[in-house]
Amino acid sequence: MGCSSSLPDRNAGRLGSLNNGNSMVTDSKNLRVKLVLLGDSGVGKSCIVLRFVRGQFDPTSKVTVGASFLSQTLALQDSTTVKFEIWDTAGQERYAALAPLYYRGAAVAVVVYDITSPESFVKAKYWVKELQKHANPDIVMALVGNKADLHENRSVSVQDAQDYAEKNGMFFIETSAKTADNINQLFEEIAKRLPRTTSSS
Amino acid sequence: MDSSSAFSQPNFYDFLNRMRHPASADLVRAIKSFIVSFSFHTTDAENDSRKLQDFLVTMESTIKEHPLWAHASHEEIDSAVEGLEKYVMTKLFNRTFASSPEDVKADLYISEKIRLLQHFVRPDHLDVPRVLRNEASWLFAAKELQKINSFKVPREKLLCIMNCCRIINNLLLNISMSTNYVPAGADDFLPVLIYVTIKANPPQLHSNLKFIQLFRRQSKLVSEVEYYLTNLISAETFITNINASSLSMEESEFQENMQSAKIANEETVTGHSSVLQLSEDDATTMRRHGKEIHVNLEGCLYPFMGSEAKELTTEDVQQLLRLYQQVVTRYTMLTKALARLSLHEEQLLHIMKDPAGSTELKKEIEKRIHEGAK
Ligand SMILES: Nc1nc2c(ncn2[C@@H]2O[C@H](COP(=O)(O)OP(=O)(O)OP(=O)(O)O)[C@@H](O)[C@H]2O)c(=O)[nH]1
Ligand SMILES: [Mg+2]
Repeated sequence: MGCSSSLPDRNAGRLGSLNNGNSMVTDSKNLRVKLVLLGDSGVGKSCIVLRFVRGQFDPTSKVTVGASFLSQTLALQDSTTVKFEIWDTAGQERYAALAPLYYRGAAVAVVVYDITSPESFVKAKYWVKELQKHANPDIVMALVGNKADLHENRSVSVQDAQDYAEKNGMFFIETSAKTADNINQLFEEIAKRLPRTTSSS
Repeated sequence: MDSSSAFSQPNFYDFLNRMRHPASADLVRAIKSFIVSFSFHTTDAENDSRKLQDFLVTMESTIKEHPLWAHASHEEIDSAVEGLEKYVMTKLFNRTFASSPEDVKADLYISEKIRLLQHFVRPDHLDVPRVLRNEASWLFAAKELQKINSFKVPREKLLCIMNCCRIINNLLLNISMSTNYVPAGADDFLPVLIYVTIKANPPQLHSNLKFIQLFRRQSKLVSEVEYYLTNLISAETFITNINASSLSMEESEFQENMQSAKIANEETVTGHSSVLQLSEDDATTMRRHGKEIHVNLEGCLYPFMGSEAKELTTEDVQQLLRLYQQVVTRYTMLTKALARLSLHEEQLLHIMKDPAGSTELKKEIEKRIHEGAK
């Protein structure tokens, strides 16, 4: 790959040093968090985001205008809110080496694979390793097996994914952006796992 | 994109006015001593950045408590801190911008590289989808990036980047609404931004990005603004590292392209400098003839505007012929570009006579381009 070698260090101390507060507390009850999605091309990252942000799946719908930066606020039961700021990253192979610039300072990383594609699961593991090496040490990571509606073509077992997630301290869930199954749960579970700075105010 | 919150125009004069008020003497003293403190230390960008960021945070709380801002709204406080950033960074610009030899080198490296890449990098090499290839439209986005050195304040430099990204997003939106194209988020955006950056070859790209990251108020480098800034940093990184494989090219093909680009650039460089060499002498010539010609860079590019035929030497004529050829080539290209926008030269000149012409023209051209995109 073209520009992989020197990437992660090149800009170290620039943006990284500025925004090290990864989840900024707007006030004690309202969190704002930066979330990145990683995973093989075609696993459904964009569809998951659209489902969550706009409540719809149809990838051809014109309202979905593929914005690369989207945000959605989630109200939790304890009457706090979490505003997810979702950073889309270019999926083409030639841009893969740029990913560290995007996940630096992220509070949440959602690593997605397609339950019908073993290669995409391998790729997911690659991203987990990358994040463990280069991302913020207290980043919240979720492993997501998407396209759960295609279970008759399943080739990654729930057990395998569950085991892998556990070993790596991740939260695991299977979703379907198509049927909306577990999409909101995914984000609610993430919200619960965010470190809360117990503010004295 | 939400422009209002991040980029509402802070009222700089209001800030200066308040600073003239006797009650703000303590603030003025703090600002002055902060600026003076900079000249005591050797230049270290990271250190300067920390100092400035701390200063802005401290001053923000001072202003909040200050009698002059009693009962001030959140926006007014914010505007005051923006004013402060502008004031201080204007004073410290020469010291903080492109201040190390490494920065200068990095700027030179990337702009030289882009000058080569411009010759052969096509949208295909970057995965820009076919339907998005509307070169004329991207020029507007590129223009915004090229303005970046007209500003000395981090906020205003950042605004150029945001404007560029906004134009790209609007064009993506227009195209997806007028065709069957399904927009693909960052998969569309980043390749287009990289292509636009190559087209623009923005001045001192590395230093500008570094300057914004270090000296823009930290609390403003968040959310969407941070996202789009990161995309340009990403574009810079990609371009710096471009090689055969990042463009899906054979190594030999890449090397050949770079080589012929180098040769082509060397030719234009020698062509240009022979024109520019005349500057000193011709500046005086023109004044002697009392003609109304501005002796600026443009005047130097067309050094015979004030000359008379009988004064020309054989060398002058050779020079003149070369210039004539350059000008005709450019003129032909410009006419073609206008034709593609279905604009007529006369129309253009007519619009420009009107003082409000340039805004009108910009609107008109944008309209044409949007029509062209459909
Ligand atoms: N059956 C099914 N199809 C899905 C699901 N989620 C996404 N898809 C389909 O998978 C394809 C790819 O989805 P995207 O969301 O564009 O994938 P992506 O991960 O964003 O891909 P890149 O942007 O290339 O990295 C589309 O054709 C979707 O319709 C799902 O839950 N079930
Ligand atoms: Mg996508």
